[in-house]
Amino acid sequence: MTIKLTEVWKTFGEGHTAVDALRDIDLDGPQGEFSVILGPSGSGKTTLLNLVGAIDDATRGDIEVAGVNLAALSVDEQVRYRRENVGFVFQFFNLIPTLTAAENVELVADLTSDNGADRAASVLEQVGLVDRMHHFPAELSGGEQQRVAIARALVKQPPILLCDEPTGELDFETGRMILDLLRRVSRESDQTVLLVTHNAAIGAMSDRVLRLRSGEIVEDTRNADPIDASALTW
Amino acid sequence: MVKPLQHKLWRDVRRHRAQFIAITLTMFLGVTIFGATYDSFQNLTASYETTATEYRFASLTVAGGDVEAFAQAAAIEPGVESAELRTSTDIPFRVDGTKLLGRAIGLPADDQPAVNQVEVLTGTYLDPAFPDGVLVEQHMADHFSLRPGSTMDVFDGTVWRTTTVVGTIASPEYIWTARDRQNIITTPDNFGVIFAAEQTVRELAATGPNEVVSYYAAGIENEELTASLSATARSLGATNVYTRAEQASNAALEEDLAGFEEMAIFFPIMFLLAAGMAAYVMISRLVHAQRPHIGVLLANGFTRRQVLRHYLGYGFIPGLIGSIPGAIAGVLLARLITRMYTELLAIPVTIVQFYPATLLGAVAFGLMASLLAALAPALVASRVLPAAAMRGESPSGGGRRSMLERMLPPVRKLPAAWKMALRGVWRNPRRTVYTVIGVVLSLMLVLVSWGMIDSIRHLMDRQFVQIQQEDATVYFTEPAAAADVADLVKVDGVARAEPSLTLPTSLEANGNHYDTALLVLADGSQLHRLDSIDDGWIDLPSAGVVLGKATRDLLAIEIGDPITLAVGGTAFVEPVAAFVDEPLGTMAYMARSRAESLSGVELPATSALIAYDEGVDPAELRNTITELPQVAAFEDANAIYDVMQRYMVLFYAFVGIMLTFGGAMAFALIFNAMSVNIAERTREVATLLAVGTDRRAISRYITAENIMVAAIGIPIGLIVGHYSAATALASFSSDLFSFDLFIEPTTYLWATLAILAVALISQIPGLRAIRRISIPQIVKERSA
Ligand SMILES: Nc1ncnc2c1ncn2[C@@H]1O[C@H](COP(=O)(O)OP(=O)(O)OP(=O)(O)O)[C@@H](O)[C@H]1O
Ligand SMILES: [Mg+2]
Repeated sequence: MTIKLTEVWKTFGEGHTAVDALRDIDLDGPQGEFSVILGPSGSGKTTLLNLVGAIDDATRGDIEVAGVNLAALSVDEQVRYRRENVGFVFQFFNLIPTLTAAENVELVADLTSDNGADRAASVLEQVGLVDRMHHFPAELSGGEQQRVAIARALVKQPPILLCDEPTGELDFETGRMILDLLRRVSRESDQTVLLVTHNAAIGAMSDRVLRLRSGEIVEDTRNADPIDASALTW
Repeated sequence: MVKPLQHKLWRDVRRHRAQFIAITLTMFLGVTIFGATYDSFQNLTASYETTATEYRFASLTVAGGDVEAFAQAAAIEPGVESAELRTSTDIPFRVDGTKLLGRAIGLPADDQPAVNQVEVLTGTYLDPAFPDGVLVEQHMADHFSLRPGSTMDVFDGTVWRTTTVVGTIASPEYIWTARDRQNIITTPDNFGVIFAAEQTVRELAATGPNEVVSYYAAGIENEELTASLSATARSLGATNVYTRAEQASNAALEEDLAGFEEMAIFFPIMFLLAAGMAAYVMISRLVHAQRPHIGVLLANGFTRRQVLRHYLGYGFIPGLIGSIPGAIAGVLLARLITRMYTELLAIPVTIVQFYPATLLGAVAFGLMASLLAALAPALVASRVLPAAAMRGESPSGGGRRSMLERMLPPVRKLPAAWKMALRGVWRNPRRTVYTVIGVVLSLMLVLVSWGMIDSIRHLMDRQFVQIQQEDATVYFTEPAAAADVADLVKVDGVARAEPSLTLPTSLEANGNHYDTALLVLADGSQLHRLDSIDDGWIDLPSAGVVLGKATRDLLAIEIGDPITLAVGGTAFVEPVAAFVDEPLGTMAYMARSRAESLSGVELPATSALIAYDEGVDPAELRNTITELPQVAAFEDANAIYDVMQRYMVLFYAFVGIMLTFGGAMAFALIFNAMSVNIAERTREVATLLAVGTDRRAISRYITAENIMVAAIGIPIGLIVGHYSAATALASFSSDLFSFDLFIEPTTYLWATLAILAVALISQIPGLRAIRRISIPQIVKERSA
């Protein structure tokens, strides 16, 4: 799916406490593109993902996904949009503590298909967690929890994948494994990916690098020949 | 307390105002009920006691036997202040064409008696110069609009004599117009009391004095004295001996007071418990959510004591705001209740006092309940380890497979979302337990009050529909031959008539006495059915005496045991044939043929039980029969039923209030538990929303979880409620009333539905909060 932002602003608060988290963002993301968003803390990265994922509204400007203006969607249509089109990997996992790893994934799989349990198991296998799938989040390490969160985002094979610091909590090896996985899966299913990170090195594996500063896009570089994720070093 | 901490306290209260209001309101209700019922109880007790001493209410009354000898013996007994002879007779009255069996009691013509004085409400006291003047007891005076100067007729056994009302009075003996312990409930059309000059009453009764009323020194109870006087009286042939506490009117009022006292304890405890639990759940959640802040406070040098005090404040605020107005409202309400009550019952002395102890006690109870509720979470707060707390490592209840899943493997096949709901029930077991207790408490409240209504209805149905088959009792001007009774059937509309004879009797066995009435019924009586405690409905046995079941314990007897019946001057020994279960009164029954063969004479009938044909107009028939010359009085059996039905309205009001309170309590508790439940998982809800679960589905899961919790409480609540209702009723049971718990099956159903409805309604605010959740805000926070 294509993503198109036109003159998008996001302002938090009002009056003299107002913060422009995003200023006049124009962005064209073609289907299947794997973009990495870099930028210092507070530059608006998470905000941008939230807008594309329709869990927050733009203050001004248009966001079109596959030609559909998100602002025009009703509440129910927004829910359906998120359910069918978007996979989220949150900065802080946000797993349901009362569900096991497998069930956390299954919960989302159930939203779009009947054999949720089977699909959950196969995605957990992909992220290398088969042996831990019946553990509750509290019994998993931070990196394992993050992999569950990624599996949860991948399980419904969403056309759009939004990842907020997916490797932030992971060691180098696991981080690289996850990135490799994301890259592979997204390429196979032609997913459009926005991946936020602080780590500039990761840009090398992407199709495109966007750099945000104070809510503005200050750099937009296409990468004609991205390297393999397994070759990344930092 | 440090100022900013105070700001924090108030801001937190404001942020969670709905929950604090719920706690405060429950607290307020509990304290109000306590103040209102306890002060009413104290006021009424004081009113009765003062009435008793002011009007020198008899400490002991002795009827029958050689009363003159007893009066002399009593007068010289140390501790007896006064002992007076008097005459009391149950005779027919005729007022405005209504004939009823009333009671005339003798008073000194010139001055108030030394015992059982009367309060003249209108007119004047008796005048020796005017022997036909009577004083009418106020209930009767009100009913027939009798005023000084009105006239009424009394039957002296031969002719109707006209008397003139000189005044209306209130008497400590007839605050509640009971005929006797067997007939606690009367209607003014069936029973009334007049007082006349002693000499006049002796003429009416055609006997000498037949009662001695004694007043002990300072009106104080004295068991030893009572025992010795009773023994003397029995040896002199007394048929009825009763203390002030046993006196019918007083006993009825005491039962009522006991009810007040019970309410003054039972209901407030329930409400304070509920408020305490709601506060506990709420404050525990706050402490949990604020662990990082507590860590910061402690790390910065706040003492643990300061933290403890701060969190106790969360209990103190609703405690104080709920209990001070609650105590004031309770005390004011008590005044109103006492006034209304004493006015309704026309108690001569109304004492409405301010009891500072109740006020202080009510506030203290309220504060104690809320501080106790806050104590546990406040202690948890004061023991937080700052380093761990600031790392924010406090997962709100880790996951666990639920018991149900472990016991019932197929449950594991449920969709993940439903398992989430199921596990939510066990996620915070303590909160689940408190919600369950809330449901149980509410059901207790509902079943105790509703059970009372069902049981009284059942009682009335038993007494007036199943046992008493007669529509009326007709009293004759002179004792009739049993055969003459049959003549009544000739009256158009009368289907059946049975001769009946009521004799005051004293039952004696194993040295125990019970004074009651012996009802001699027609052989094979169809108009008074007997429900034996062993064999169900039985025919009147042709030999032996049938007794009310309360005598079994009172006299320590079993079926077949011989008992002595003292009737008039003679005593008979007869075996017990059966014990019957009758809701009102404890009587003795015997077949006419057996009574005749025991006494060796043909017994007359003092009255007849009659049953109407179907479809007759009871008012018209009453008139026709009343006009018969041989009829002295007419007692409508259905009138008492109607009167009781009317009292039921009061009960409905009471139950209505209790149901409202119970609903409010259930709401407060369930609402708090659910709000906290939802607050605890905003993060999960936001995550679910972000991944595309719609809000309706989330509401469904949360509703399912909450209803499951309520459902756990329902069966427990029904059982506990059933037994509490049984206990509450048992405390009202005596030889006056035999109250058995009877709850309609539909009552359980309605109570269950009501609780489910409250559970559903009380989660609406929480579900609305879900709608306001800001997803981006929450998913990016490290700890929600
Ligand atoms: N709900 C909010 N209210 C007010 N300001 C907000 C809100 N959410 C974000 N902001 C502000 O918007 C700006 C962008 O925030 P955002 O979370 O998008 O940053 P980020 O680039 O993801 O930072 P980080 O790398 O630290 O996660 C920040 O200055 C932040 O303070
Ligand atoms: Mg961010």
